[in-house]
Amino acid sequence: MDLNNKFQNMSSDSDSKSSSLNSKVEQESESNSPTKSRRSTSSTSNEIPFVGDIKLRNKIPENVVSSRSDDPPLLPGEKVQGVARDVTYLCPFSGPARGWLSVTNYKLYFKSLERDTQLVIEVPLGVVSRVEKVGGQSSRGENSYGIELFCKDMRNLRFGHKQENHSRRNVFEKLQQYAFPLSHSIPLFAFEYTETFPENGWNVYEPMAELKRMGVPNDTWHITKLNDGYDLCETYPAILAVPAGATDEIIRNAAAFRSRGRIPVLSWLHSESQATITRASQPLVGVGGKRCRDDERYTQLIVDANAQSHKLYIMDARPSANAIANKAKGGGYEPEDAYQNAELIFLDIHNIHVMRESLRKLKEICFPNIDETKWLSGIESTYWLKHIKCILAGACRIVDKVENHKTSVLVHCSDGWDRTAQLTALAMVLLDPYYRTIKGFEVLIEKEWLSFGHKFQHRIGHGDDHHSDADRSPVFLQFIDCVWQVTCMFPNAFEFNELFLITIVDHLYSCRFGTFLFNSEKERLQKEVKQKTVSLWSYINSDLDLYKNPLYWPQQHALEPVASLRYIKMWKGLYCRWNPSMRPQEPIYQRTRELLHMKTQLMKISDDYRRELKHKASRNTSTTNRLTSPIHI
Amino acid sequence: MMNEKRLTNSFKSYIGLDDDEQVSSCDTSLIDQELSLKLLPGETIVAEAQKVLLFTPVNEQKTGLSGVLFVTNFRLSFVTSHEKHLEETLYQENLLLGQYDVCHSNIDIIYLLTGDKKKRLMTGHHFNDKVKGLHILCQNMRTLSYSFKFSLLGHGKTLANALLHHAFPKRHQLLFAYDYREPNIQSRYSTPTFRCRDDWEKELRRTKCFGWTLNSSNNNFQLSSSLPQFIVIGSAVIDNHLRTAMEHFRDGRLPTWCWSTVNGATLSRKADVIDSSNLTQENAMLEIVRKSHPDLQRPFIMDLTKNLPSPKEVNHSFIKLRELCAPESARQFWVQDNHFYSLLETSKWLQYVSSCLSSALETVNKLNSNESVVLQERDGRDLCCVISSLAQLMIDSYFRSIVGLQTLIQKEWVVMGHPFCTRLGHVNAIDSVKSPLLLLFLDCVWQLLQQFPTEFEFTETYLTTLWDASHISIFDTFLFDCEQDRHYATNNESSPLILRSIWDWEEQFLDRDLIQFHNPLYNASKAKNEFLKVASEISSLNIWTQCYYRFLPTLEISNGGKPLEDFAVRTLIHASDKHSKHTHEVSAPSNIGSFFPFTHWRSSTSVPPSTLTISSLSLNTSDFQMDTSLVEIPEHL
Repeated sequence: MDLNNKFQNMSSDSDSKSSSLNSKVEQESESNSPTKSRRSTSSTSNEIPFVGDIKLRNKIPENVVSSRSDDPPLLPGEKVQGVARDVTYLCPFSGPARGWLSVTNYKLYFKSLERDTQLVIEVPLGVVSRVEKVGGQSSRGENSYGIELFCKDMRNLRFGHKQENHSRRNVFEKLQQYAFPLSHSIPLFAFEYTETFPENGWNVYEPMAELKRMGVPNDTWHITKLNDGYDLCETYPAILAVPAGATDEIIRNAAAFRSRGRIPVLSWLHSESQATITRASQPLVGVGGKRCRDDERYTQLIVDANAQSHKLYIMDARPSANAIANKAKGGGYEPEDAYQNAELIFLDIHNIHVMRESLRKLKEICFPNIDETKWLSGIESTYWLKHIKCILAGACRIVDKVENHKTSVLVHCSDGWDRTAQLTALAMVLLDPYYRTIKGFEVLIEKEWLSFGHKFQHRIGHGDDHHSDADRSPVFLQFIDCVWQVTCMFPNAFEFNELFLITIVDHLYSCRFGTFLFNSEKERLQKEVKQKTVSLWSYINSDLDLYKNPLYWPQQHALEPVASLRYIKMWKGLYCRWNPSMRPQEPIYQRTRELLHMKTQLMKISDDYRRELKHKASRNTSTTNRLTSPIHI
Repeated sequence: MMNEKRLTNSFKSYIGLDDDEQVSSCDTSLIDQELSLKLLPGETIVAEAQKVLLFTPVNEQKTGLSGVLFVTNFRLSFVTSHEKHLEETLYQENLLLGQYDVCHSNIDIIYLLTGDKKKRLMTGHHFNDKVKGLHILCQNMRTLSYSFKFSLLGHGKTLANALLHHAFPKRHQLLFAYDYREPNIQSRYSTPTFRCRDDWEKELRRTKCFGWTLNSSNNNFQLSSSLPQFIVIGSAVIDNHLRTAMEHFRDGRLPTWCWSTVNGATLSRKADVIDSSNLTQENAMLEIVRKSHPDLQRPFIMDLTKNLPSPKEVNHSFIKLRELCAPESARQFWVQDNHFYSLLETSKWLQYVSSCLSSALETVNKLNSNESVVLQERDGRDLCCVISSLAQLMIDSYFRSIVGLQTLIQKEWVVMGHPFCTRLGHVNAIDSVKSPLLLLFLDCVWQLLQQFPTEFEFTETYLTTLWDASHISIFDTFLFDCEQDRHYATNNESSPLILRSIWDWEEQFLDRDLIQFHNPLYNASKAKNEFLKVASEISSLNIWTQCYYRFLPTLEISNGGKPLEDFAVRTLIHASDKHSKHTHEVSAPSNIGSFFPFTHWRSSTSVPPSTLTISSLSLNTSDFQMDTSLVEIPEHL
């Protein structure tokens, strides 16, 4: 695909304008003409490039462009596996379009042959959760015979095939194989993908450096090597920060009392008050009300590590009924009489199954068509926003305790890798401006989600065909949704823009990068993910401007969003993006680019100015102009 | 940041005020403080109550202020020295109304609090001495709760009586506009009134109107009581035929011109004929509209009573919307919150906004394909105003400036006889239909602004302020049902009314606040030529949080929201405009919340303002810090 063609088409009525993995409608006349000159990005309002697509285009190396015009553009390491001609894409918005369909080891690619507009559909196969045949040899009616794909990113795709000669057989088989490579003993595409980037995303997160950034180790917190070989807890990272007073014995004993050995460890430390956020799994209290002296002692050490408060809030993410029910399975929660200085608060967030069902309902109201008369009550009936509100409200409570009451908070749910990660990560975004930068947010995901063992493999189901697996759940998606809600409330507080979040969600499923593969740090180490795959952050950090918020205005203070449904809204730019009528009106990205450009110029001017002032100041030392003290966040 | 004054006259209570317990934490020392009210020329105090508590909205009467409550012939005014503190922060300061004042015209419902009971007060009601408090619900969704717990016996009753009398006046002449004695000022926002020949002629020339003529046959309102003195009618209607024709339309409202496209298609508006069995005159008039078209094309008749809500329905919807935005208690707030989306749907407000936008879009589509459109409604004075002005706003960028929008409202609403007095309920009349059609229009404009953020010179703050201003009984703009009423009021020899236009914003605001009316992203020279294809589906619409949520302190996002976004843009634009001279010492706005500049209460639970330092509001480079006063009002105003 020629880069420049897409460039021009941004202003035309393209299918959707907010995705990096998108389908586009283009003018036939402009396609396949490699001689077309590159248009300036700051051209007139009729030719506004849409940022969402540039990324993907830039990443298609020129030397890979195939000689045959009807071959799809390929990524390094990508190979065409099957092609079907004379296929009809049944677009739910613009009607059927005839064209050809190819399947590679990475994506499905459809290109229409229609004269007036050219439709291109590109779907990474990692996004596909289910492939089905529609109709049989005896089916009557136009396009009643074909293939249907159900996707994790809120869309379904239908293709109609000719009934003669088993025309769908080949692509169907290839789709099955490459959408679910693990079920067919084929490696995930991330292990085949060979593109190189100037930035190495695997270096983004250095656990020791991140702890050091927070001032750890210090008098009260130290770093333990107990989990070096993942023996203490195989779902935890190798490097853990624990209270300085905790002996190896206490830690081991406490680990035995926590579900899957997930003892309370440090997530975040308030640089001024020393109040902390720690995370854990549930204690193994059981119906008998078992106690563990060392777990209690260990918890007290967390309280003691904060001189500002003699109290610890234990935020149990679950509804209290679920927490109680867990006792029957040997789990439970900390009894307040055993944990002397702790106060237990239940945050009422539901489990992965409830969330999965909620997303299923959300898809029903979003795709393909929207019932305008019941849009608002439809949103309510999915409970999606209510769940988002609950998570956000929970994070706000944590922030309030840590920031306003200088009190430490211990967060857990049952296993401590789903709701716990949502809460700690979100609270950290609210508390610490560093995590609101692009780099900081990447670190946050690496740390709170990846290293602490959120089971991405099980929750997303990369490359396996068990689409109804009860382990799948949009836990991470909810976190990103919550962050998006906060960015809407604080439009200046984040260095990144919406595209950054959408790109993360897209590649959560795509299997192009190694970042979200496997369940734990231990597994990723065993599979040599860092050596054999590319990090999503390599891709993003090599083109940062695309993901920058021009209105970013770093703020040091903690953000306190309002967790009310009067503000929490449906993220149409993500969930409804396949519907062309839901795309934003204004070429907002142009404005964004102009502002970004303006800001760059401005910073240069101010640098010059600062230099000039310094120069002046050196001559006249009495001047105390506060403009001369730059503040770097 | 908290100064001592603030500490002494605000209170925080940990026990209920409903019972007879002592409010221990309420510092009563200030209550004896002398507080006086600064009156406007012509304003008189009617009643006052000392030692009154004003509660923070939706806070279970736990926090608030104490002071003196006055009823004047203009407003309900609460005076507290606390006000001084708030002046230090940036908020919209109205020169006519204090921070805790409300004009009588804004008061919609008065509840009397006696013991645990809440009783709605209606004119003619009698009530006993035990007036414990008042709860007031305003047209603009503001709520005010007062307690007379510490006032002298009888103060509450006297005050309630006076308020009841003045908030719901029986005659138009009782409105404060008739008493206000302050000379007019010359405004920058000079807006054509369409009360003179010249304004119409200019507009006809501007649109290169063809086939329509300015007519002054109604100069004494002899042909129609609700049409203005000058009307633009089809050129083929000759004067003697005009009289006959008008007799057949409701209140003489035959098709009158609104706007023309460059190709000659026109937008016009009319009322129904009186006798629907006799369509001769209607057909004759429509034939004249056809003849005014360059291609002699038949106009499209758009019946606005078909797909759009009636004024009554709009009001019903508004009341339900207001319930969501002005809950009585925190409990109600959170109960509503759980079902917010379905409650919003039940209110039908967004549905009505959607229908108006889609009708306007349909109108614009026709005009754009060079088809004339005639808007038709029973009296032609309600939805005709909404749709004709929305359509013009969408198709003609001229109206997207501040003065442009004012021109449009003047032309399509004010002189064309939208019954503002009735719809806004300025005078208490049992049988009249109140309906916030103006708000419905402003909400539609706000939706346009959301979808096309660079196409309008005005901001949402301007639109919200406009809605507020429509409830101030000093300005005549939205005070009358028609031009005839205004004409008689100004020509009344015994006590002539001095006209005071709402567009003279300097009467109400300082430059500092007027800046907030100007959209930093607007660039008139880059205005779109094609019309604004608004997405009118409900799923594309949003709730106007600034206008509807601003009186709920719990919903204010501290250090967040649109205002900071605007500041960032203003800073960028300002700095890039003036980078050659780095001479200003800039001070940053501190403690800006999402309801800026309408912040009335600081949420008691919010982070102390000290966390927000100057550096935190600066850009990365920190050299450019924001100051509103540096962003000047463009000179062309």
